[in-house]
Amino acid sequence: MNKNIFLIGNAHLDPVWLWRWQEGCGEVLQTFRSALDRLNEYDDFVFTCSSASYYRWVEEIDKDMFEEIRERVRQGRWIPVNGWWVQPDCNIPSGESFARQALYSQLYYLEKFGMICDVGYNVDSFGHNGNMPQLLLKGGMRSYVMMRPDITENPDIPEDLFWWDGVDGSRVMTYRISGGYGKSGTDGIDKALSSLKERAAKKGHGMMLFYGVGNHGGGPTKGDLEHLCSKLKSDGFSELEFSSPVEYFEKMCAERLDLPVWRGDMQHHASGCYSAVSLVKKLNRKAENMLFSAETWNTIASKTTAMTAASSDLAEAWRNVCFNQFHDILCGCSIMEAYEDVRDSMGHAMATAARIENNAMLKIAGQIDTWFDGVSDTVVSSARHHCRNVNFPRPVVVFNPLSHEISVPVRTYHPSSRVTDFNGSDVVFQNVRSSRSNDSHLDTVFVAKVPPMGYAAYRLDWLSKEDGENVNNAQKTDVSASGLTIENKYLKVVFDDKTGGIKSLVSKSDGFDYAGGKTLALPTVIDDSKTDTWAHKVFKFHDIRGVMELVSIELVESGPARAVIRTKHRFNESHLTQNFILGSCQRVLRVKCKAMWQEDFSILKMPFALEGGDPISTYEIPSSFIKRPCNGEEEPAQGWADLTVTASDGLRRGISVLNDSKYSYDCPGNEIRLTLLRNVIFADHFSHRPKADFDFTDEGLHRFEYGISVHMGEAENSGITADAALFNCRPTVVPEGYHKGTEPPVKSFLSVTKPNIAVTALKLCEDGSGDTIIRCYETDGKDTGRVGIVCDMIDAGFWADFGKNEIKTFRVDSEGHVKETDFLEGIAEE
Amino acid sequence: MIKPYKLTAQPCRFCTTYKKGDAAIPPELYSAKSDAPDLCGFPLPLPSKKNDYTCRAVTMDGAEWFGATTGLTRYFKDAEREDDVIMFFAADRDLPDNRVISLLPKEDGLWVQTETGVTYIEMRLVGAEEKADILLAESVKYVDRRGMYSQKRLAVPGDVSSAVSYGHSDNDGCFTAGFAIAEMLRFATFKREKGAEHQDTLGAKKTALRAVEACLLLMHIHGRGDGFVARSYLCPDEPVPDDGLFFRKEGGKATCLETKAAKKRGMVGMVIDASAPVPDRLSKLYRDEGCGDDGIVYKADTSSDEISLHFLNLLFAHDILCADDPELDEIIKFSVRGLMEHIIDHGYELHDCTGQPTTWAKWSKKYFETSHGYVDACLNSAELLMYLKVTMHILGESGKWQKAHDELIADGYADLTEKHWDRLYQAGLSMGFEPVEDIMYGDHMLCVVSFWGLCMLEKDEALLEKYRNGFRSWRTSLKREFNPGYDLPFALSCPDEEIDMERMATWLYRINISRLAAGVSTIGRHDTPVATRRAGYKEISWLLPNDERFISKYDRNPFELKNVDSGGLNTVESCYIYTFAYWIGRYYGFFE
Repeated sequence: MNKNIFLIGNAHLDPVWLWRWQEGCGEVLQTFRSALDRLNEYDDFVFTCSSASYYRWVEEIDKDMFEEIRERVRQGRWIPVNGWWVQPDCNIPSGESFARQALYSQLYYLEKFGMICDVGYNVDSFGHNGNMPQLLLKGGMRSYVMMRPDITENPDIPEDLFWWDGVDGSRVMTYRISGGYGKSGTDGIDKALSSLKERAAKKGHGMMLFYGVGNHGGGPTKGDLEHLCSKLKSDGFSELEFSSPVEYFEKMCAERLDLPVWRGDMQHHASGCYSAVSLVKKLNRKAENMLFSAETWNTIASKTTAMTAASSDLAEAWRNVCFNQFHDILCGCSIMEAYEDVRDSMGHAMATAARIENNAMLKIAGQIDTWFDGVSDTVVSSARHHCRNVNFPRPVVVFNPLSHEISVPVRTYHPSSRVTDFNGSDVVFQNVRSSRSNDSHLDTVFVAKVPPMGYAAYRLDWLSKEDGENVNNAQKTDVSASGLTIENKYLKVVFDDKTGGIKSLVSKSDGFDYAGGKTLALPTVIDDSKTDTWAHKVFKFHDIRGVMELVSIELVESGPARAVIRTKHRFNESHLTQNFILGSCQRVLRVKCKAMWQEDFSILKMPFALEGGDPISTYEIPSSFIKRPCNGEEEPAQGWADLTVTASDGLRRGISVLNDSKYSYDCPGNEIRLTLLRNVIFADHFSHRPKADFDFTDEGLHRFEYGISVHMGEAENSGITADAALFNCRPTVVPEGYHKGTEPPVKSFLSVTKPNIAVTALKLCEDGSGDTIIRCYETDGKDTGRVGIVCDMIDAGFWADFGKNEIKTFRVDSEGHVKETDFLEGIAEE
Repeated sequence: MIKPYKLTAQPCRFCTTYKKGDAAIPPELYSAKSDAPDLCGFPLPLPSKKNDYTCRAVTMDGAEWFGATTGLTRYFKDAEREDDVIMFFAADRDLPDNRVISLLPKEDGLWVQTETGVTYIEMRLVGAEEKADILLAESVKYVDRRGMYSQKRLAVPGDVSSAVSYGHSDNDGCFTAGFAIAEMLRFATFKREKGAEHQDTLGAKKTALRAVEACLLLMHIHGRGDGFVARSYLCPDEPVPDDGLFFRKEGGKATCLETKAAKKRGMVGMVIDASAPVPDRLSKLYRDEGCGDDGIVYKADTSSDEISLHFLNLLFAHDILCADDPELDEIIKFSVRGLMEHIIDHGYELHDCTGQPTTWAKWSKKYFETSHGYVDACLNSAELLMYLKVTMHILGESGKWQKAHDELIADGYADLTEKHWDRLYQAGLSMGFEPVEDIMYGDHMLCVVSFWGLCMLEKDEALLEKYRNGFRSWRTSLKREFNPGYDLPFALSCPDEEIDMERMATWLYRINISRLAAGVSTIGRHDTPVATRRAGYKEISWLLPNDERFISKYDRNPFELKNVDSGGLNTVESCYIYTFAYWIGRYYGFFE
């Protein structure tokens, strides 16, 4: 048995935390120089370092140093680990973001160092989602090093070495660091050695000692190395070796150990991080969605028109997003100034995405035949700022980037008297109040039905002065409203005029009232004055400061396409406006919110109670979901969370809460609560705060949306993942001109035969071959078996088996031949 | 509580091949012309590339057929089952070659002209039991070799009626035991449903008995009298292949024949005792064919595969066939006692005549500590515990068997049964494999019989839970196959676990109505992605239906790309592939 202590020389580098990225970059250069010097001085010393973005900085700034590093990598003395761009937060990024972390980083390592990283390494990240084993494996990594939560925060997770099984059954060998990743100084190292020796003897396998000054870089000091070298030569320490995590895992695999197994996610360390600094959370979600859409349409346009692919621009934008997923950035625990930088770089990513998407959509729309005979004969009208022919309806094209068909209200910024599809069939629409103050003050909302990853063209007749605003009334619709009640074919929602909450939430399919006599959605302010930004050692936020007081409630819209109730609440100097929007044929009640927040040391939560037994909460995690007990602990989640119970009628019933930019919920018993805002001091580490006038993480104006839906059965069988995808990634409406074209008014570019398979990437291969990459995952936790994927534009149609929660990536060549590959697109195999 | 799944009659492919010019071929086939189908916007993946399709026809049932230069596709959008909407037909099983030239619908079927020949294809509705009968009849007629059922060579490629009379398998005992268990369950089902004296019941009993006796014969044919089990045996007129250790019996002795394996071990010419008598009831199997004991050649170096199937076979035979057959019961008891004593007395190994363990029948701690044994330990510990439980059940004794069992439990054997996936995974990692590359598909059947046997017989709740966990630890690899022969015993053993009855139905529905061992190529299918695993192993990305992939026994990775049939057009296989799964389902109430 190899019970050695493997000495892992490293420098924990936070590129952003209590400093901005510029300082982090300098810290990387200094640390790398120091590590190279130590490598020159100590023949046996081995240095381990993660994060491709750091190497890229060095490559750009100091080519000589980069060459030195390459040489050390070739010699096996400098060990790059973690095939990701940074050590990201491991709960908030989407599954596709994790794929991109691996794609851009591993290909960088392959190009620069001729290798990919076999070891995942997130020693400081605060929690690790239950799909990580799969995300690691498909990014080329078979083993993993982590540290948080530590044994005091979660004693159930095995210590030291264990198998980690993810929600899909994927497995990685995992090492949980005890006692820190940056041991330095004689005493610290000796204590750690003593403890590790004892544990190695007890467990029967080797251990890793992580030494070297960290956080703001630094690395192993001469003193550390002298001390360790002297230990190596002294009696009783023959079991020490300078090594790397790569070597450690190789040796442990060869040992054939019967290790403990941990299944699911690894939480909690910093429970406040998933709601702190709403800005960065919103930017992350928005950038992820915009890049997905932009890349999809750019790929389609490049395959079906003469448009050039924008792969390198998209890659650079994705790298920005990946960088900002660094755990101290995305978790909201960096200094306030750092978020100025985040806003800039995420802005760059989103502007890039918007430009690429718009170019592609206009190119595709330009192929559609929108022509009317005679349209060119009349003179352009006087419709103010619109250079259009008012005698003919204006065409618009609605683009759906999702891989399932959608039917959803969309908005154009002009009023209409009629909306039809290109067959001339009427479509439900409504003129609604616009955000502008000039001309009619009206926009059009109409219910667009769009095929998967495709478009549908519509025609909108101009609203004339004679039409007035009453054109809404004649349409057949499922939407109705009266007093403080709104309803459609799925839901009947009744509001309480005293509190502004929902006092009845009835499923129209069977008449069950999910409110059950309680009032839902009462904005609740939690006291958060006793914790720091991370909320170290605090896992529950239940200390209610008060419920927001209702200022006003009114029915502000009632039409064929949607009905809207607006509530306004206040709490001290803070205000919340909510528009509860129930659209035609929509399962989800959308709530569009504006908050002006001034309440220091507070959390704003939106609670939804559901009476019944056997409650279980379910949360979306990256490309999957996980179930957790309803114990009131603050939990990270993505686009949705759900509470399901055995209701009074004996049936399993649930209420799902969706969001467009939030990542934190709790579920104390029979209530699920979405955490909307968390207003604490920036970078307040263990609350050692002097008396000062601090800036707060969520003070000021916030715009966000959440949604509510109900279901029978368990959450994962309710279609909630598809609903949340649509909630987050809405169709884009492109106004078009009149032109001849070769393409039909409705078209799908890619379709999937099963509703529980979602496409998360349609892109071009990074090797420039022109091959197409299609990535999908199973959303409902079902062994689905055979799924057909058809993509005519690249002559591809193929089947693949999907296991529960499985992510699959396919690469299609110019002949339509398909390989199943992974996040690295088969490039590392070549 | 098992909720029965109703199996219904489903379309099966009946393909008859003709040489061009055969008088049976309608002449208009040669001149039949049609346009290439317009497949733009076709909603489903197609087996051939769209540009490869050259002709189209519609048969009486409303199905569309698209002929391609790479095979033939049937599209029936109103198919009762989603899996049957698109079907692929190709060489070697369905077509003479894959270049389709013309199509001609006629009567209930379709004439297909390819470059080198003509095929007439009919899709006939066949019930699940009817298919079992068809396959059984073929096996009884063409595969049976003195009650043994594995496979036979064909004198005329593709013509099962040309099966030659000889041809052993390395695993005759193993495959025949699988066949025997299926037939015993058929007998028990008929007995329950039709009565003991019904001719179907009596017929099933006769087939089952013959196979059980053939298995028992392998436990005595060697004449060693020490509980050893032969892999197989040959009558004097059958050729002896050079693929293992063979002994020829003569005058109460047996001499090791010259083969590569015998030479390597220095055993050529070795003479050993073979004087122990073969029970008359068993020797009748070869005596009825005119063979005496002298000249019989048996095959040694038996593996644990054989032993495991033998034990499960004996368990079913004792429980199902022996109530009114005390003679058989005595033989079974005698046989199981001898075999179990052999294993215990030899330190949990099966020993060849040299006093050394056979290559693959080792259940000792010593073996488990070797590098091969590290992974095998989890399966082999379950096997050994199952043998002891079966022995105690059949003999109705505890004594030394219980003592051995308890010692093994104390030695951690039950704990080892739970560690299969962990150890397989780690071994794979250390060798640079993905776990799926390291799976031994032949072990699946051994896992199933071991854990099924244990879960049937174990009454101690704590041990039972360990065995269930052990069975679960195989689930990741077992469920890749969706083989009801594996999944139904799993469901019986772990009743809380879910199984996919729809996929199991597909597995049964889509098995061909003949076990001619020629399959259909997976290479070049346009609708089938290929994945290259970490160590270079290539797999396809979906489980092709049985009638669209290569033919094998229960021992191959069904995702394998390389596509080598078990014997191709030159072999006919045993029906147990189907009947084992089907009759477990029927007997235990999974299928109606």
